[in-house]
Formats: sequence, C-alpha cells, structure tokens
Amino acid sequence: MIDYQGLVARAKRKMRVVRARRGDARYVTVMGRFVREGLLIVNHPLPLNDEPLALDDVLWAGELEPRLLELLPALIVKRPGLFTNVAPLPPDLAPVVAELRRDREPPAFRGIPGRDIHRWLTRVGRRGKVPARLKSFRFTPEDQRLLEHLAAKLEVTETEVLRRGLRALV
Amino acid sequence: MLREVAEQLDRWMIDENLRLADDGLLRLKPCTIRALGQAALLELGLPVELAATQDVDVRADYEDAVRRRFAELLRARGLELDPLGHEIWMPSETRYTSAFQGKFVALMLAEPEAILVSKALKAPAKNRVLIAEYLTVGPTPRFWQLAKKYRLDLEVFT
Repeated sequence: MIDYQGLVARAKRKMRVVRARRGDARYVTVMGRFVREGLLIVNHPLPLNDEPLALDDVLWAGELEPRLLELLPALIVKRPGLFTNVAPLPPDLAPVVAELRRDREPPAFRGIPGRDIHRWLTRVGRRGKVPARLKSFRFTPEDQRLLEHLAAKLEVTETEVLRRGLRALV
Repeated sequence: MLREVAEQLDRWMIDENLRLADDGLLRLKPCTIRALGQAALLELGLPVELAATQDVDVRADYEDAVRRRFAELLRARGLELDPLGHEIWMPSETRYTSAFQGKFVALMLAEPEAILVSKALKAPAKNRVLIAEYLTVGPTPRFWQLAKKYRLDLEVFT
C-alpha cells in the first residue's frame, strides 16, 4: 500500500532544500557553463558563463544534478581546460579518470554506472577521439634510420609509421 | 526541438523519394519515431526543472539512410542520436502521443509517467531529484498506477 500523501509531503520537504541549493552561486555557475558548452540542455532560464570551473563546485552541484557527475570524468580527460584544477582528484574519482584515460569502462562513480560515464569519452571534446598515451621505446641507430627514412618516404610522422606497421602485423 | 527535426526529416524524405522515383529506384518507406527518455520529457513540457545531456533516445522503424539523416539533423542542433537508445526499458503498456505527423515521418512521444517510472527503476541515482520534484507537482493517477504495478520504491527518492 503506497502512502501517497506521506510520500508527497516528504518530497516537498526534500525539494525545499534542493530549491534553496539550486540558488547557490556554485550550482548556477556550473550549470551555466555546462549549458553554454552544449553539454547540457535545460528547460529553464539560466545565466550562461564561460568561467573555468572549480572541480569541488562541479562535485557539489553534481549532488543536485547527477548528469554533471556523468559527464565530469570524460571532461577531465578530454577538456581539462574547463576546470581551474584537475589535481588532486578525490579518491573515488581518480580511478574513474585513470580507467577512462585507457579507454576502459571505469567503476561506478557516485551512483552513476561506469558504462554511462565511458560513453562520453568519444562524445565530448574532439568527437570520436580517445586520449593517446605516451610510451617510450629504445631504438637502435639502424631502427631510427629506418623510421626516419620511412617517415620521409611516406610523408607522414614517425608515429604514423609505427601505427601503420602495427596494423600491418595484426 | 524534436518536432522541428521530424519536420525537416519529413521534407528531406519527400525530396529524396521524388529523386528516387525519377531514377526508377525503390522509395524510402514511411517511418515512426518514438521518443523516449529526457528528450521526450523536454518536448512534453513537464513542469519540473529538467537538465538533459545531448543524447536523444528513440525507438524507430526507419531505414538506415533515414536514421543517418535523422542523426545529422540532430547533430546540427548539438544533439546526439544514442545508438543504444532503443535498448531503454519502458513499461509494456506505455502510451505514445503524436507530436508530428508528416507525409513520411510520424513522431510520437512516450507518456511522461512511463518515462519517469522507467528512469526511477533503471537509473535511480541519476534521477533522484527529478522524481522527488515530480512528486511535488502532483503525480497523476497513471503514475501511481504504473509505480504500483512495477513495485517502484518511491521512498528512496524522498
């Protein structure tokens, strides 16, 4: 048996708190920036802005609008310039971002499933791109000469020569 | 916004079908697009504060060429057709209302009560404020009926 009146009364009490927090400058600033960037669409008037956002403010606002938390890890990886600081990350966010940097499905973050977080990696920032990783190798002088020769011959970068070589071996 | 996109898609299909007929090729079949999720809620004008990502979730019976054109039209408006949108669970008795009827394109919107029940059941963390706010604006008997049928624990949202 659903206690309709009790539920509505409790929801009203909760929403009084939520509405007061929605008036907070942190929420307004964060939402205004996400909407301006086209990351979120809202059905109510909101002052837009292009200020860099404090990570703590996004996490705070995310308690009211969890879609901010869904987008946040991918934005840290692909568009760190949106934020005033992306380090240090809170202990529950750091492993999420680390997995995303490897283009792997991260663990859930504050109730948002990892699958929902992962799908934004290719959709925010440069569309379709995933972050590249820096790797170091030791080449013999002969390897280096060969790499430079192929890059010049094919008119591509040395990285591109390696990429093509890898794919040829698959 | 979805209505305008559906209208544009319909115009494109009219032109495309004229061209295909001239070339003696098979014409594109009429289609029905059923909008689900947050995009449908925005279109329905629910009296709660909504925020949506760029994703548009639909179930549609269109051909691939039409799907690609639909995705392009959405992208031009900063929206993204979710490739997995059709996998969204919706109550089996969900009703749809017509939002646009063109010559080749019909746009239907899922009823808000069914969308909210789907969200509350499948993604409670992401929709906790939305459901709480909806409870304050006067849920319809239809919402209570669906909530009861699907044993939705509304206590977690309050």
